[in-house]
Amino acid sequence: MRHSKLLFLAAILFCCQLAWSQAKTITGKVSDAKTGTGISGVSVLLKGSRTGTVTNADGTYSLSVPSPSSILIFSSVGFETVEYDAGSSLINVSMVAESSKSLDEVVVVGFGTKIKRDVTGNIARVKGSEIANTPVPQFTQALQGRAAGVFVEANNGKVGEGVKVRIRGAGSLSASNSPLYVVDGIPIAEGGVGINPLADINFNDVETFDILKDASAAAIYGSRAANGVVLITTKKGKSGKTAVNVNAQYGSNKPTGHREFLNAAQYVELLREAAINSDIIDGIDPLDPDQYEDSWLEYVENKMTSISGWSDWRNLETNTNWERQAYNNSARTKIIDISAQGGSEKTKFYASGSYSDQDGILIGNKFQRMSGRLNLEHDASDRLKIGMNMGLSRTYANRVAADNGFQTPLQLVALAPITPVRDLDGNLYDDPVTTYYNGLVELESVRRSSIAFRNLGNIFLNYKLIKNLYFRTEFGLDIQNQTDDYYAGPASLTGSGINGYGSSDWYKSVNYNTNNYFNYHTTLQQIHDIDATLGMSYQKYSSENVSVAGQDFPTDDLSRLASAGQITSGSSSVTESAFLSYFLRTNYKYNNKYLLSLSGRIDGSSRFGRLSRYGFFPSASVGWVISEEDFLAGAGAISFLKLRASWGITGNAEGFGNFAQLGLWGSAKYNATSGLVPTQLANPDLKWEKSEQTDIGIDFGLFNNRLTGEIDYYVRNTRDLIYNVPVPGTSGFANQTVNVGSMQNKGVEFVLNSSNINARDFKWNTSFNLAYNKNKITKLDGTQTLIPGNDGRYLNSLMVGQAIGIFYGPKYAGVDPLTGDALWFESDGKTTTNEYNSAGNFIVGNPNPDWIGGLTNTLSYKGIELSFLFQGVFGNQIQNGAGAFMSTGADWWDNQTIDQLQRWRNPGDITNVPQARFNYSNGTGASSRYTENGSYVRLKTVTLGYYLPATVIKKLKLSSARVYISGVNLATFTKYTGWDPEVNTDYRASNRNQGGDFYAAPQIRSVTFGLNLGF
Amino acid sequence: MRSYLIIAALSLTIISCGKKLDILPQQNVEESVVLSTDESVKKVLNGAYEALSSTDLYGGNMLMYSELLGANGELRWAGTFNQPREVYNKAMLTTNSFITASWLSAYNVINICNNILSATDVVVAADRDRVKGEALFIRGAMYFELVKLFARPYSAGNVGSNPGVPIILTPTRSIGEANYVARSSVQATYDQIIKDLTDAEGLLPTGSGTRAQKAAAAAMLSRVYLQTANYAGARDAANRGIGYGGFTLTQPYAKAFNSGRTAAADPASTLPEGVFQVVVTAQDGGNSMHTYWSITLYGARSGDVAIEQKHLDLYAANDARRALFYTGTGNSLTNATIRTGKWKFIYSSLSIIRLAELYLTRAEANLRLGTSVGATPLEDINQTRVKHGGLTPLLTVDLNAILLERKLELAHEGHSIHDAKRLKQSIALGAETFAFDANQLVLPIPQREINASKNVIVQNEGYQ
Repeated sequence: MRHSKLLFLAAILFCCQLAWSQAKTITGKVSDAKTGTGISGVSVLLKGSRTGTVTNADGTYSLSVPSPSSILIFSSVGFETVEYDAGSSLINVSMVAESSKSLDEVVVVGFGTKIKRDVTGNIARVKGSEIANTPVPQFTQALQGRAAGVFVEANNGKVGEGVKVRIRGAGSLSASNSPLYVVDGIPIAEGGVGINPLADINFNDVETFDILKDASAAAIYGSRAANGVVLITTKKGKSGKTAVNVNAQYGSNKPTGHREFLNAAQYVELLREAAINSDIIDGIDPLDPDQYEDSWLEYVENKMTSISGWSDWRNLETNTNWERQAYNNSARTKIIDISAQGGSEKTKFYASGSYSDQDGILIGNKFQRMSGRLNLEHDASDRLKIGMNMGLSRTYANRVAADNGFQTPLQLVALAPITPVRDLDGNLYDDPVTTYYNGLVELESVRRSSIAFRNLGNIFLNYKLIKNLYFRTEFGLDIQNQTDDYYAGPASLTGSGINGYGSSDWYKSVNYNTNNYFNYHTTLQQIHDIDATLGMSYQKYSSENVSVAGQDFPTDDLSRLASAGQITSGSSSVTESAFLSYFLRTNYKYNNKYLLSLSGRIDGSSRFGRLSRYGFFPSASVGWVISEEDFLAGAGAISFLKLRASWGITGNAEGFGNFAQLGLWGSAKYNATSGLVPTQLANPDLKWEKSEQTDIGIDFGLFNNRLTGEIDYYVRNTRDLIYNVPVPGTSGFANQTVNVGSMQNKGVEFVLNSSNINARDFKWNTSFNLAYNKNKITKLDGTQTLIPGNDGRYLNSLMVGQAIGIFYGPKYAGVDPLTGDALWFESDGKTTTNEYNSAGNFIVGNPNPDWIGGLTNTLSYKGIELSFLFQGVFGNQIQNGAGAFMSTGADWWDNQTIDQLQRWRNPGDITNVPQARFNYSNGTGASSRYTENGSYVRLKTVTLGYYLPATVIKKLKLSSARVYISGVNLATFTKYTGWDPEVNTDYRASNRNQGGDFYAAPQIRSVTFGLNLGF
Repeated sequence: MRSYLIIAALSLTIISCGKKLDILPQQNVEESVVLSTDESVKKVLNGAYEALSSTDLYGGNMLMYSELLGANGELRWAGTFNQPREVYNKAMLTTNSFITASWLSAYNVINICNNILSATDVVVAADRDRVKGEALFIRGAMYFELVKLFARPYSAGNVGSNPGVPIILTPTRSIGEANYVARSSVQATYDQIIKDLTDAEGLLPTGSGTRAQKAAAAAMLSRVYLQTANYAGARDAANRGIGYGGFTLTQPYAKAFNSGRTAAADPASTLPEGVFQVVVTAQDGGNSMHTYWSITLYGARSGDVAIEQKHLDLYAANDARRALFYTGTGNSLTNATIRTGKWKFIYSSLSIIRLAELYLTRAEANLRLGTSVGATPLEDINQTRVKHGGLTPLLTVDLNAILLERKLELAHEGHSIHDAKRLKQSIALGAETFAFDANQLVLPIPQREINASKNVIVQNEGYQ
């Protein structure tokens, strides 16, 4: 018995030993590789089992594992999943934020999500964290250079104003070419006149931007997806300790470029020379005192005396640099963002508040935004989830006049350098002492403010009906409210002669939307993966405008319309439209190898004619994950390889108004009584523009996915372009809106992401994108093949077989060395002529770039991180529409660009700048003389940051702290001699009118210092 | 089971009603609504007047083309706009945007009239004839202006084969083959005009004011007959126009125009002599005769049309009508450039037909026919001579005296080229001379119209 007791003891001991060796407890802390702070809520799972735990608020965990040979998997949303051998009892894990390029990340598709690995369409993703804290007002600008095939171009450097976005080129002649923006499921409103609805969004609240580029990805948005779709998903809370983040930035703004103009001495010399040359043409020698009277020289010298004000031009007493006067030398950027997120297992929240205040580089230009957001999610039961996303914002903009207005600050460069800014009493000189209106008067006598409120939110409900079947309903509301107040005092151009002019415009837009859909997902026999979505959506837009204007104000202090002596006009108007849609999508995956996706959407819209109210937008795509095939298994370098192909039809229903399909009569006034007149001919067949796109692509991952990439080739044919076709005027109408033209875009896109170095302390990642697009008009109205566009300043034309807005006009042939005459080529392309009207027309430029690209490098060493983005645009040309004013050899009083010093002076001179002739226009007609290469490469953003060491932040009782310096547009490499090659002058920017420069403000170069604290 | 009921119920939410897509505009109405009631048809008629008062038409340019074409060294275009300069130079491009706009606007008015005429059934019986008459008057007047400007003159003969203008008598609802209409002959166009105006005269009431009435229709008819050298028709129509009453020759002469007002801001009023006039107020209507013929001081441009001394020399030194001319440019009255005072102010009306014209037409026709219908030519010519010119009455009269009186009395009111053409007078421009039937004195059919009609509409000679 005693023996047996011993044996029992031994057995117990043995068992204990066994138990001890099996139930090993591992503890440790999971922290963020970047910041060193603990991450809460990380799932720690024993591989191949259900054993696991989650980390505590400070990132620590403790887990019993049965054997030391087991493997632990650490995973958390937003971080790359890592595996560790459970060999040691203390495992501290440092997790790297998931790069946006991971194949396992979940991308947002319309009405659902999908794992990147399984995507068969083309979706470019930019994570909010990549562009967070970029000191630009609009997210579109922050996206520049980040995604392949997404062309972003700000019209000019005015803050908070128009930015052109083209995904895979322009598809339309007269309707919209902008993508559809969808925020948390709601397509947002396009906005009214002078309203930029995208500037209202604080992009620090954005988790991801998913850009649906090909038809199969976008077709689920049907008649509005032809220009691509940008899905914006705002941040969601995570359960665990509430994390508060505070970000503050402060910096200064300067222009990116500068255009050199003549100084006083050069100006006087040029003007006198030009006048003498013109006199010689008239057969007069103005230097002969007898012939001086009534000569051009006398006229010019007298005028110079008058425009010199109090000073004497003969002694060059004044030398004003007017360009400098146009800039705000103390332009600042101030940004404060506070966000908090957290919650329980059942209820999670994200809340933020932000204030951003950016001065433009032009005097009087400013943009401010205050915004707040609250996103909530609550699991009411294990079946029911409800939530809301709510964003509020107020923006305030001080605008400046459009580029073609004398009031716009940069037109100051036209003023003569011999003119003083102010008289001896300190008052601004104005016309007639200044040769044109002195735009500085605007700063003192004009108020132009625009205040917009935006409420963009939705509520949703997600219900699990039965196993694998979910129902989701969303209701979204997007309300905009904007007031524009304008007052121009009697001293200003607009207010002069009428004792001041004032206007007030009020705009309200309400857009509501509901999406209701079922989603079913199941896996059969572990190899058939089926996912289906079926639903509907309804959206209604309405907008209202009220405006009133008056004149004759008692004093500049009483600038509201209540004080106007006369109300000169008043109006109100309303417009509405609606979309009703049904959609279905099915995805099928076989054995992780073969992918098939089909989708269809039926879209009906009030904008379409009665006979074509509903359209069907199908798409199909297939994928083959070759790397899952046996023959590639174990093929060393190749870790992932997928071929995909897609086809689909999308539509474009934006940009031709809400009622273009109806035969309409509008009001008229005669003898102070109302009347009715016909305004529009009906077209009951009017419908969306139809875009058919085919995309073939390869996704690959090499070296254990350290190098991943995508290559895509696409062809996008757009038909039924909306066009106002001329009809016989004898009908009583001039034209009718019909679907007639067609256009093509073809291109290639390359994306490469590489983890170059991935050592413990030093990491270096590179991502690169490059895209080529060729745009071609294939049909206009069926009879015309050319709509020439030479309007005296620009040459943007529409030509079948060429890209939209191509420059078509006279080709400059330089200067006749014998006479100094400007020459152009005649239509034979060889003979030259000095007669502008005899010049032939040629394609002399193209405003659409061939190639666009971006290159991002991120390097981190311990707590230091450096990230920089180069962005480039290649193969486009720019037409300086102001060339005939600023580079004309003193044809008139405008100050001239410095290249005019190279002018022809004596027979035999070889130069490209013709002889200066005052008022006898020598070479001023719009031609390739003013066309320049617009290619550029730009150091778009640079951020250098430092995470304070964990020891320091612990002392400061913070969870993280980072200081950084961030620069935007720090360097630009270009041959363009103007201010900035990123330009599309605002007053004429349209589908066709692109690539024009006209006193457009250069982009903003800003340097900001920032501090980022986590609590 | 409960789950499936929920699914079925939720499925209903995704089925929605397509009627939500029937959204109509709120600033415009559909054509079916417009012509459905008495009230709305009358509003369309008001719209016809509004369209007629466009600066492309009776709001000025139609008058200006005639004066610039017929300038004959008595006035010149000195402004910067190319489009009127081309007209003045008799070198019009087929793309001239003013001419294109006038063509389109005239047919817009015609289409509005055709709409009204298609819907007179819904107009209350008491007003039906008046509404119909006004629409016919406006349509007839537009065809008359078009054929005078865009076709070879009636006096050039070959009226049965020379192309007039396309005649459209039904409202446009959509564009189809029927909308590609070729030009009718000059004769056919005149036949239509005479029919419209004769019908209008029969339907319209008598009266005065700013709407068309019997006298306006008769007066327009007298112009038409005069163009076709049907002097008996012209005489009788003018005589009827005078006989309907409602208008008086003004004194002083300036009262026949806006210049009779003491200031630009005078309250709007109708012109007492205006048999037909189009209204300009601060809220509606335009006056391009003011824009180009007046000066900055009176709210116009700096002064684009300058009157030559040659014209002034035609007046007797003591003719009160000569005193209506003034000198000035821009904001200054000291500059020596001569301006006509007829278009000095913008408000309240543009005189299209004045009573004075009827006396002069009746005088000319009576004289040519050797008759004295209504009054003797001498009595008629002394009406304007005495009341407007402040001159002593003539004791004898011949055709030249009547034509000179007509020229001076109606100067710069849009008669120049039309009178020159019917009288077969040539027009000088510098060293050049253009015969009355020269191609250059006919406006080109706008190029956009040739293109849009797929060449169904043929271009005028000299512009091909």
